[in-house]
Amino acid sequence: MSRVVRFLPESIWALPIGAALALTWANALPESYYLFAHASRFVVNDVGLTFFLGIVMKEVWEAMRPGGSLHTWRKVALPLAASIGGAGASVAVFLLYVHTAGDRMLAPGWITPCAVDIASVYVVGRLLFGRHAGVSFLLMLAIAMNTIGLVALAVFGPVDGAHAASGIGLMALALGTAFALRRARVTSFWWYLLGPGVLSWWALYLSGVHPALALMPIIPFMPHAQRDVGLFVDAAPQAHDTLTMFERWWGRPVEGILFLFGLVNAGVPMHGFEVGAWAVPVAVIIGRPIGVLVASALAVGAGLHLPKHLRWPDIAVMGCISSIGLVMALFFASATFATGPLLQELKAGSLLTAFGAVVALVAARVLHVGRFAR
Amino acid sequence: MSADPLRHRGRPRRSLAALLIVCTALLHVTAQELALPNAPDSVKFAVIGDMGTGEQEQYDVAQQMTRFHAKFTFGHVITLGDNIYGGQGPEDLVKKFSKPYKPLLDAGVRFYAALGNHDDPANVSYPLWNMGGQRYYAYVVKNVAFFVLDSDQLDPKQVDWITNALKTSREAWKICYFHHPLYSDGRTHGSSVDLRVVLEPLFVANGVNVVFSGHDHIYERTTPRKGITYFVSGAAGQLRKGDTNPSAMTAASFDQDRSFMLIEVGANDLAFQVISRTGVTVDKGTIHRSARAPESDLP
Repeated sequence: MSRVVRFLPESIWALPIGAALALTWANALPESYYLFAHASRFVVNDVGLTFFLGIVMKEVWEAMRPGGSLHTWRKVALPLAASIGGAGASVAVFLLYVHTAGDRMLAPGWITPCAVDIASVYVVGRLLFGRHAGVSFLLMLAIAMNTIGLVALAVFGPVDGAHAASGIGLMALALGTAFALRRARVTSFWWYLLGPGVLSWWALYLSGVHPALALMPIIPFMPHAQRDVGLFVDAAPQAHDTLTMFERWWGRPVEGILFLFGLVNAGVPMHGFEVGAWAVPVAVIIGRPIGVLVASALAVGAGLHLPKHLRWPDIAVMGCISSIGLVMALFFASATFATGPLLQELKAGSLLTAFGAVVALVAARVLHVGRFAR
Repeated sequence: MSADPLRHRGRPRRSLAALLIVCTALLHVTAQELALPNAPDSVKFAVIGDMGTGEQEQYDVAQQMTRFHAKFTFGHVITLGDNIYGGQGPEDLVKKFSKPYKPLLDAGVRFYAALGNHDDPANVSYPLWNMGGQRYYAYVVKNVAFFVLDSDQLDPKQVDWITNALKTSREAWKICYFHHPLYSDGRTHGSSVDLRVVLEPLFVANGVNVVFSGHDHIYERTTPRKGITYFVSGAAGQLRKGDTNPSAMTAASFDQDRSFMLIEVGANDLAFQVISRTGVTVDKGTIHRSARAPESDLP
């Protein structure tokens, strides 16, 4: 598996195993589970997940550099348009659902349906499309949609107005330090993590913005490889740039973090599912493919071209695959709501988005896409 | 042969009918009976939850509350969330709140609301709910401190607030209320254990006496849990018939009709009476402040 995607398939099992344990524990011995989850949430969600999102950001940043798969607007325009459509339609269906059901308290959870679980999407994509070029399109779609969600979280998420000024000051200091390290040609990623990384985390924490986003503004300052080898593709063994070293060092621990993330966040009661539990899967399973298809059609109508070897049924199936939210959906839900029933509902909904894989499989079969092509 | 027995049977039938009428009348009279001390200086209030449907059943409960108010002049009503279902516009607030409770509002009864998952958060500013624009707040009536929480989400700020508020409260009675029950035998929702692990230690450490919640559309009283009695009263408009799944912690429950509660707090005792939509008392008892354990008067 050298030079091919290794992190994604290897990490995909981490969350489901953690989630399965959490579900069993929470339903068998709820009191002890919630005590554990409550005590561990800060360390896992607010600190540990910072490194997972750092690796995601590393991929996005490298892909946006010259030679990267997201470089030049021509390459990225269609998946970007599709992702805006996919995220927008999911959010619209979510809001329509919660308002129709009369659960207005859930409305601030609208960022959750923007989520795409990159690892699951990659694995299901490969399962259906093999080594088809469409998998790259799918990954770009997933990354762009998560980026929309992350930006929405930073802009519209909960903010502590009282400490916002100190937060902005600290963030400026973090960015300044990162810039200085880059100018001084510091190559060890540890300096970037322990200096500007910590400052950025503290800045977001103070401002009330989810601190797990802390490495996202710092990653672009880390020295990177001359050319991107592809989305989530392992770098060449001779590559020793800062970003590659960062990913190599943190790859394994992040698998552990994803396991813990599943264990801490996925424990929900398996009875009395309420509006939020249905709103999330309905929003992504219905809204996502429709939004992706309509936005892609509009973009093609406006002059963009479908990538070679991609047909409209392929795009529809990719829309279905991208409805799997899991890790990112759990993250967005936890970042939007504090402890309580609303969060529980959205978490249950986030787990139910796994059925997007089944829907994608059925859609691929019906539309004769990928491995089901005639 | 066939006519005589019928004639013979006619007399007992008439007697039976007469007995039935007398019993119904008696039941009607006893149904409206107040089972509380009704002392002059006590704190008196009513409890309703999950009521804002705007349907006839909500109006029936409201009417029953008005009837009881005539003989038990409670000064305020606490609402346990899901105060308004569906539309939340000004017309809905009239149809689902100010109209059914108009006689009480006209009599000067104040409502202090907690928010439920069906409520519009913007309604914290609805003047008739006396929330002062806050999701969570506290107020004091004589010797009773009331703490109203927003259980939809317990953010660290709210947890800090309730910790502080409970610690600094010097009133003899501390009563907390919010929408989602920490203990419930409702089949549909049941206990919110994730909230319980956060709130219960605070309640126990700071001497909370009684907790009221809604969400499950039933009435339930628990046996004291770590010294605190928990009530679920979520059937003042909505109802889930037969939704209770009694367990070892169930002290009393009622899920056959809508209901509301009347509470009277004295120096050392809190008396409660639970009344159905038709005016029948379905649970009553007293909680002593020192022991905190309720002693039910009903079998």
